[in-house]
Amino acid sequence: MSPTPDTVDELIRSGYQHGFVTEIESDTVPAGLSEDTIRMISLKKQEPDWMLEWRLKAYRHWLTLEEPEWAHVQHPPIDFQAISYYSAPKKKGDGPKSLDEVDPQLLDAYNKLGIPLDEQKALAGVAVDAVFDSVSVATTFRKNLAEAGVIFCAMSEAVREHPELVQKYLGSVVPHTDNYFACLNSAVFTDGTFVFIPRGVRCPMELSTYFRINEAKTGQFERTLIVAEEGSHVSYLEGCTAPMRDENQLHAAVVELIALEDARIKYSTVQNWYPGDEQGRGGIYNFVTKRGDCRGDRSHISWTQVETGSAITWKYPSCILRGNDSVGEFYSVAVTRGMQQADTGTKMIHLGRNTRSTIVSKGISAGQGQNTYRGLVRMAQRAENARNHSQCDSLLIGDRCGAHTFPYIEVRNPTAKVEHEATTSKISEDQLFYCRQRGLSEENAVSMIVNGFCKEVFNELPMEFAVEAQKLLNITLEGAVG
Amino acid sequence: MLSIKNLQVAIEGKDILRGLNLDIGAGEVHAIMGPNGSGKSTLSHALAGRDGYQVTGGEVLFDGRDLLALEPEQRAHLGVFLGMQYPVELPGVNNMMFMRESLNAIRRARGEEELDAVAFMTRVRDKARLVDLDEKLLKRNVNAGFSGGEKKRNEILQMAMLEPKLAILDETDSGLDIDALRVIAGGVNALRSPERSIILITHYQRLLDYIEPDFVHVMVGGRIVRSGDKSLALELEEKGYGWIEEEAA
Amino acid sequence: MMTADLQRSWVEQLISDANAGLPGQDLAWLDSARADARQAVAELPLPNRKQESWRYSAVESLLKNSFRPAPDDVSELQALDLQNWLLPAYEAYRLVFANGHFVPQLSSGALLPAGVTLGNLRTALAGDSEWLARWFGQTANHTEHLFTALNTALANDGALIHIAAGVEVDRPIEVVYLSLGQETAALVQPRNLVVLEAGAKATLVERFIGSGEAGYFNNNLTEIALRDGASLAHYRVQDESRNAWHLSSLYLAQDRDSRYLGTTLAFGAGWARTDYNTRFSDQGAACELNGLYTAGDRQVTDFHVNVQHSVPGCASRERFKGILFGKGRAVFDGRILVDKQAQHTDAHLTNDNLMLTRDAEVDTKPQLEIYADDVKCSHGTTVGQLDPEQVFYLRSRGIAVDAARKMLCLGFAGEIIDTVELQPLREYAAGRLADTLNAAVVEE
Repeated sequence: MSPTPDTVDELIRSGYQHGFVTEIESDTVPAGLSEDTIRMISLKKQEPDWMLEWRLKAYRHWLTLEEPEWAHVQHPPIDFQAISYYSAPKKKGDGPKSLDEVDPQLLDAYNKLGIPLDEQKALAGVAVDAVFDSVSVATTFRKNLAEAGVIFCAMSEAVREHPELVQKYLGSVVPHTDNYFACLNSAVFTDGTFVFIPRGVRCPMELSTYFRINEAKTGQFERTLIVAEEGSHVSYLEGCTAPMRDENQLHAAVVELIALEDARIKYSTVQNWYPGDEQGRGGIYNFVTKRGDCRGDRSHISWTQVETGSAITWKYPSCILRGNDSVGEFYSVAVTRGMQQADTGTKMIHLGRNTRSTIVSKGISAGQGQNTYRGLVRMAQRAENARNHSQCDSLLIGDRCGAHTFPYIEVRNPTAKVEHEATTSKISEDQLFYCRQRGLSEENAVSMIVNGFCKEVFNELPMEFAVEAQKLLNITLEGAVG
Repeated sequence: MLSIKNLQVAIEGKDILRGLNLDIGAGEVHAIMGPNGSGKSTLSHALAGRDGYQVTGGEVLFDGRDLLALEPEQRAHLGVFLGMQYPVELPGVNNMMFMRESLNAIRRARGEEELDAVAFMTRVRDKARLVDLDEKLLKRNVNAGFSGGEKKRNEILQMAMLEPKLAILDETDSGLDIDALRVIAGGVNALRSPERSIILITHYQRLLDYIEPDFVHVMVGGRIVRSGDKSLALELEEKGYGWIEEEAA
Repeated sequence: MMTADLQRSWVEQLISDANAGLPGQDLAWLDSARADARQAVAELPLPNRKQESWRYSAVESLLKNSFRPAPDDVSELQALDLQNWLLPAYEAYRLVFANGHFVPQLSSGALLPAGVTLGNLRTALAGDSEWLARWFGQTANHTEHLFTALNTALANDGALIHIAAGVEVDRPIEVVYLSLGQETAALVQPRNLVVLEAGAKATLVERFIGSGEAGYFNNNLTEIALRDGASLAHYRVQDESRNAWHLSSLYLAQDRDSRYLGTTLAFGAGWARTDYNTRFSDQGAACELNGLYTAGDRQVTDFHVNVQHSVPGCASRERFKGILFGKGRAVFDGRILVDKQAQHTDAHLTNDNLMLTRDAEVDTKPQLEIYADDVKCSHGTTVGQLDPEQVFYLRSRGIAVDAARKMLCLGFAGEIIDTVELQPLREYAAGRLADTLNAAVVEE
């Protein structure tokens, strides 16, 4: 499980190994944002009128909003008129019928990312819906899934093929009025993933989407919607990479999860977007709204995230625990180094009786990285016997970084119980010496201790992701020690 | 094999070792005894290369090499093992994985083949029996939540795995009941060999009933003030340290 | 908008009315502090819930009242019998303020040990007080918010305490703030200054007492400077009238190796907020702050604790506990800031809350903001009810349920009350808490 120093070295030598640019002819609209831009996006995606109206309503609301300033992050103002809101690889003909028809350069790009979009993946039991810039280009294993009654497709396709489901659920967890970036997303989202698991079905495989930002200056605004009907189960993996670019790129996704009675949704993210260089030039602004609604009794939503990339990360995957006995979980590792800033955490809104939530947040700051945990636990008046336990630990490596913890706890019910603990420390001299006395190099000792620090969270990840997460962690921390 | 000449060590500017001399031959077992604060643990940490122990004078040769010039892990690669009085807990770090990383780091440094998973497992199981360590503890995190006795057994298990040339056991007997002491002593005795030297640092004679030393030294005020065979330990047991401290003063 | 305008005009009216009667107008240093504060009053927004530090502290009810400064007339206090408010078996050097004005005949000025200066601001401003000029406004942030600015702009009277280097005061110094029934909604703004020179040692007790059902606003501000090696034990008891508004702003500046041990107890007022601000200027200083609050029907109690570690090697420990009942509401906002250079900081913050009733409410926000790596920092928070198993255990031993609950509450609070080292005060506090709990258990 643990990477040997050899593999770490190898990974380090390769630098930011996802930093290549795929040269594909793209269909990119000129920069700028107006009602016309939105009409054009909607037209290009052949959307029904209701979708266009939905977008325009969000856009008109967005014009009345101001960009929020409360997060513990700093960045120059974003020029929303300088961003191109639509970029799609140009297709030959009407789009690929099978993988053979997919642009080989595109497949090659995925291979470089280590996403085997082929039979090997079938053996691994992973179905991949790959989002290349804004448009979903290939979806595998839909047949297998269809047999189980599972819908797993691009959002734009769902809008056309399953309008009744999309209309029912889209925006029902994150309305366009929710926040500045979610509102922007509602107006201009170009694609994303739609998952529907019907009543009683356990999704036969892990569902996985790789997002990738390729075209320069394209904001990426995915929209993901996962609906798990009564008694169904699904595990969804999201991996993110972006090539190196000198200019900051905005990423403002919205993810909505809906779990009905006895349903379980597990959502895992490994986010490794380009963090910018050591001087803080370039890098992704990752301003994401993720929220799950435990709508039914005994439903269960679990967020696990490993955040090592992006110049700025601003996300709070949250759970609304509406159903009685519903459960929300948030497991997070966030690493910042160089000039990276992360302001991340969760909201657990307890509305139902006997609702339970667990928060485990591990923040690692190195270099001049700034890492903030921001979380809200709210026990509403009728959240009888609700429980929350939060553990937020920060590890500091070097004396120029920062680790911050801002929990908000609001309790309106006396039978609810909230426990929150937070610690901040550095790697102890005792631990380092112990490892070195047993023959381990300092770097390897640090890597081992840091991985140990994160283990509670890694344990929540599906196996493949856990390995990837550990490797990423080691690459991210390389050179940070000493 | 180990030659310590006029070793002087200070911690935060305060002199602790004030000219210590000791020669240890291959295969010998030396017990170092002494009252609290005499510098026994300082000696063990200084030999292992702990930061913050400033060597202000003297030299230490290990197989003819200048030990004090080396980093802690380099000393471990040469075969110096320190069994700690208070073994450190490593949250989230699996015990078995840790030992494998450690063993293979040492083997690599010596130009030996790394052990594969199967060979390693066989060896761990084998050695765990030596110190009667519950196999469940192998799967737990290093020392995390271990009892005092379990931590000490885990230390001896690591010693057995790493096969050091010089093992320094710092108060390995402290906090152990008599049964645990027997088990640990049994483990140490099984590891005695003509190539392996052992320094036993202890406060009490009791341990020496189970591990018979070739030499006994008494430390007072940062020096070895008296050396002898195991009868010296018995004498100390009977009379305490007072008389030696007076003599030394 | 109308309301905001009215509130704004209230503030402006206060400022324009004040000029004539303020003491010390000929003192340049005071004049400039007041001018800064007046400017801040004009420029600062009214506190509102969009500001992070007022997120949970609604001030609408306070601002609605258009409080007017309490009349400068203490004649009716001549007959006042202080005995009603004194604690038994308690020898102290004492300063008494009634409705914000110093009452000399109730204060003990004579027989002070050498090196101990006790006095009031109004009197000191009439004379030539060099140390006052030197220290006034040095640790406070006048422009922190509207109310600190108001206090400074209208600074009028308050307690002054100066302990010379190396002097150890033999008795506690007690400052009593009495608020007596007022016809109109009175604004009382004590402005206090406490300076302990190097190596000085003292115990300070502050008690806020309100009589009757008076609806006044006590907006007090206290600056405390502890110089090298000085040591202050500081106990505060807030027991204002249940209709009163109370806002305490404390600014603590600690020099090398100084010690501050504070215990703050909040039982009274309808709306109360206390802000502690601690700054360390040099290594080796330690600040320990313990707090206990209770809030029942129509009560909001609010503590903000802001400890700034900007130099290496200082320690801070904050422990706050609250008991809520009826429709009581509590807010706790604690922040530990560790600057880049503040290595070897040892800082810990805890906040525990007991909710005895269904309609009680707690909002708590313990924060760590850390820019140095070699530090030991933690915080912990709990909110919950009494452990049913513990209640059951006591009942199984024959204790009635009310008594059992009360006993457990007292146990919960004991950790804080026990930090009061003055026995009479500790006993008073325990008794006061027991009375509150009796009422609370009945209310439930």
